[in-house]
Amino acid sequence: MKTISPRPATPQFDSHAMIELHGIVKRFSNAAGVFTVLKGVDLTINRGEFVSIVGKSGSGKSTLLNMVTGIDHPTEGQVVVNGSDIYTGITESQRSNWRGKNLGIVFQFFQLLPMLTLLENVMLPMDYVNLYDFDERPKRAMELLTLVGLEKFANKLPMLVSTGQQQLAAIARAMACDPPLLVADEPTGNLDTRSADTIIQLFEGFVAQGKTVVMVTHDPSLTSRTHRNIIISDGEIINEAVSKCLPQLRHRHMLQFTKIAEDRIYQPGETIIARDQPVDYFFMIRKGGVEVILLDKENQEYIVSSLGKGEFFGDVELLNGGKAIANVRASGNAPVEVVAIPRADFMNVINQSPITAEAIGKIVQKRLDDHRIADHRSVRAN
Amino acid sequence: MRPRWRKVLHDLWDNKARTLLVVFSIAVGVFSIGVIAGAYQVISNDMGVSYAANHPANVELRLENFDEDILSTVRNAQGVGEAEARRVVNFRVQEVGSAQWVSLDVVALEDFDKNKVNLLVPVLGAVTADKNEVLLEKDALKKLDVKVGDDLVFELADGLTKKLKIVGIVQDVSTGAGDFLAPPFAYIALKTLPTLRQPELYNRAFVTVAEGGEDIDHIREVGGDLTDKLEKNGVTVVRTRSSETHKHPLGDTVNAILGILLALGILIVFLSSSLIANTLSALLSQHLRHIGVIKLVGGRRNQVFSMYFTLIMAFAILALLIAVPLGGVGAYSLASFIAETLRFNLLGYRIVPLAFLIQIAVGLLVPIVAGLAPVISGSRITVLRALSGDVAGDENKPHKQGGQEHVSWLDALLLRLTHIFAARGIHFPRPFIISLRNTFRRRGRLMLTLFTLTMGGAIFIAVFNVRVTLHDYIGSIQNYFRADVTVDFDEPYRLREVEQFGLQVEGVQQVEGWQYTSIELLYPDGTVAENSFVLAPPAESKLVTPLLTAGRWIRKDDVRKLAISEAALVPFPNLKPGDTVQIKIDGRKETWEVVGIFKFVDQQGMVAYAPYEYISQISNLANQSYSFRVVADRHDRAYQDMMAERLDDYFREQGFKVRKTESGLSSMDTASESLDILVIFLLIMAILTAIVGAMGLTGTMSMNVMERTREIGIMRAIGADDRAVMRTVLAEGLVIGFISFVLAIFLSIPFTYALSDIVSSAVFQTPIKVVFTFLGYAIWLGLVLLLSVLGSILPARNAARLTIREVLSYE
Repeated sequence: MKTISPRPATPQFDSHAMIELHGIVKRFSNAAGVFTVLKGVDLTINRGEFVSIVGKSGSGKSTLLNMVTGIDHPTEGQVVVNGSDIYTGITESQRSNWRGKNLGIVFQFFQLLPMLTLLENVMLPMDYVNLYDFDERPKRAMELLTLVGLEKFANKLPMLVSTGQQQLAAIARAMACDPPLLVADEPTGNLDTRSADTIIQLFEGFVAQGKTVVMVTHDPSLTSRTHRNIIISDGEIINEAVSKCLPQLRHRHMLQFTKIAEDRIYQPGETIIARDQPVDYFFMIRKGGVEVILLDKENQEYIVSSLGKGEFFGDVELLNGGKAIANVRASGNAPVEVVAIPRADFMNVINQSPITAEAIGKIVQKRLDDHRIADHRSVRAN
Repeated sequence: MRPRWRKVLHDLWDNKARTLLVVFSIAVGVFSIGVIAGAYQVISNDMGVSYAANHPANVELRLENFDEDILSTVRNAQGVGEAEARRVVNFRVQEVGSAQWVSLDVVALEDFDKNKVNLLVPVLGAVTADKNEVLLEKDALKKLDVKVGDDLVFELADGLTKKLKIVGIVQDVSTGAGDFLAPPFAYIALKTLPTLRQPELYNRAFVTVAEGGEDIDHIREVGGDLTDKLEKNGVTVVRTRSSETHKHPLGDTVNAILGILLALGILIVFLSSSLIANTLSALLSQHLRHIGVIKLVGGRRNQVFSMYFTLIMAFAILALLIAVPLGGVGAYSLASFIAETLRFNLLGYRIVPLAFLIQIAVGLLVPIVAGLAPVISGSRITVLRALSGDVAGDENKPHKQGGQEHVSWLDALLLRLTHIFAARGIHFPRPFIISLRNTFRRRGRLMLTLFTLTMGGAIFIAVFNVRVTLHDYIGSIQNYFRADVTVDFDEPYRLREVEQFGLQVEGVQQVEGWQYTSIELLYPDGTVAENSFVLAPPAESKLVTPLLTAGRWIRKDDVRKLAISEAALVPFPNLKPGDTVQIKIDGRKETWEVVGIFKFVDQQGMVAYAPYEYISQISNLANQSYSFRVVADRHDRAYQDMMAERLDDYFREQGFKVRKTESGLSSMDTASESLDILVIFLLIMAILTAIVGAMGLTGTMSMNVMERTREIGIMRAIGADDRAVMRTVLAEGLVIGFISFVLAIFLSIPFTYALSDIVSSAVFQTPIKVVFTFLGYAIWLGLVLLLSVLGSILPARNAARLTIREVLSYE
């Protein structure tokens, strides 16, 4: 049988990337009008990453996932998965076949076929895409069920096992054709904590084997176990530096920051903030690290603190309204990437988000205390 | 308009495919019953009326040649109303320039204008024929490609030919009415007879009774008196036939056929109602969520009930709008077809009130009855259950038993079978397992679908079996006519002479002279019970292989002994071998012994056999005969026809006065053709049932697909391409089709017996041996699989077109 595969992506795409979304727009129209669910999403997920996608109901996270799985079509933009442009030049039918070979999907409601046993459910994708010898398929399916601890239930119908076991079987089915990418939509949403933990452990195991796992979830305890947490709000992806630095912010504020954020890159040793100079930005570190430096009585620099990815600076100056109380300089051997938010925007959002204000306030207070001690040393030295 | 009625309107309009399915489910049943009820009414009324309108003879007498004086005797006899004499002679005719001979019965009338019995109805051209002119009965046009104004070539006894001009086409619904195997008729004036080398004498009398035209006993009595009177005047009565004025001779047969059609029509209504029940129940399942919402916002049970009741009524009215007019047209078409075949006229197109009312009643009542249960259960459902979505689930879904979930026995069995095979290393592809297990998920629906398809199949197969049974029975004629060619002469020839000449002809292997005569079988009181031909082959002839039901066959030394066909059991139910019967032969009353009773196709009346050795003796024709049977070296129809031509030419060349030659299988062909017409009626019904079955399957598969869209989405999500999805749906349809086929095999057996019994009793007045044929089974297997594919292909295509987002978006 001739199998038509999605067109290989052009060489401009990153070979390390498992998923690349470029300018994805998705509009739905109904009697009430046209709704834009995804508003020009750009996203890259690398091979071997364990990524969680979070967002409020209606934010567009499932639609985003549908773009990756080929379940839905983008209105605009390009989706490259495992090196293939999955929406150009292939039919829905061919995409189904491609999907069977290249990715496994785990649904919130398991979606096992009720008329097949767990073993048969796991064998089904192999039948559809004709992978592995016909006689080898039962053996492989049994191995996968053993992997998820369901070997004793292999010949039972889905309705005769617990929901946790159904989800485990669904994961075994998703891995049936040994795909490099596993996509899970709220895989633990319907499960108790223990079952959820088992499933995340399985995902971690797959990631350890080099597979890429992308998971939509609401559960913060799960996001903490992934390599990356992508937040989607109102159809747009929130800058990961923003979400990592200011997790207490409401999504809409994160989105606001994402929109006004300026990306800046500083070379190693380059000063970002100079003491006693006015500070007009709030900085969040996306990549690399910075050092907070004061001068001692001999006018020698000493490092008050080092900040890395997911941390911020400039907060003390912006909240206290003064000039810089220390130097901040790019550290290490590689350039540092930061996201900068102008003072007015930062203050505006902080004023609207008491929780964030309080969280940052505590950090500011601690930093001021640390600085007071350090500065005292420098003053005494003087 | 109130919102709830607007909802009803939307339900009708929004899902057009579903609306069409329900409407057609109802319409097909209404249409079928309309066609059959209408045709039944039209035929049973018009057949008798149109027959009577042509003043059919109550008594038909076949006599030796007689003249006007004898006719006057007949006219003056007591109880006689009208009497007409005619001469009926069989001729071979051909179109000018054609080599094909056609057999016609030529009827000569004294005066066309004084025609009062067996009226001729004008169709085209003249209604009277002058000297050397001929009128053709319109049935003759089926065999002759001629038109008014053409010449028709008649073959005379001496081998010469004469041309007569065709001046008109007429219809004669009376003369051949009792015998749809008879050759077509042509009509000439008496004065044309000399042209055809025939004497200007009559040989048939057509008589109506003065009163009591509907009293068959009175008619027979008049016929009996006439026979006595004529024989006293020295005229031999060869045969008499009696019939009532308003009763078409084939009326009983037609009514029996219509009875079968009516039974099938009622069956179709049942089948279509199961189809409607299926569709409405699926519709209600789909609407349970709506019902939940309606109740949630304050809708009462009665309001829900009235909404869905109205919806069903709307379906019914739409169906009636389609089916009633079509049913009326269909009824008249079917009636016309039957009328045309059996040579009678209809009184014109009209609306049959009874059929109209039946259609309305069926169209309204059946959907109500079929939809009542789902509507009531739907309107009673609780809000919680309606909104839970757990309402359209599988009927064999695991259920709680003693705190544990259990699967149904059928699922357990299917699983067990799969495991047994798997344990032996036999694994079925999972997509096929899905199709197989899906088949049994909605068992109620499956049962209804299987019911319709199985019934359709069983009837279809039974019709084929009945066809073969009838043909087998007709084929048994062959046992009595094993000769390849029959050569009849106008005068007797010596057996030895004809044999010597005959054997000179290439291909001839045997020539055998037969005698024949006719007798009247008499009741003990002397009245005529039945006419019978007596065929007299040499007692040891190999050209007859009788199918004896009792007694023995004729012997060489039999004197006043005969073997008689089963038709004799009608007037004499207790007749058995060894009994004696009173007969009238050559005008003499004699007592003969019945030595054997045999099976025969009795459409032509009763037949008896007596040995040539005795009959030739009493007819003073020892070692001579008018009629010879010829056996050729090949027995196929084409060869027989060729040999008939060859022998005809040869004997004429040799100076023999040949009356006609006929190939052995030609009579069977005619008989088979007429039976085929009957089978076609049955087949139409069988196909209609099969169509209902196929529609049922389409409906079921559509509903299954609609309910399983989520699962189809899952299949697509895990790698199933269009073909895989379509295969799954098609395989399910095929599994259902195959199961129905297996069930139909068994059900077809009683159906075959029942149908064969009804038909043979109607046509042959005797039950006949049932024969089964693989043909019906093979055709139905092919057809049901084809219907299954056709029935599933649309739902399968729809399934393949579903996008996963659509089907999983509910989650």
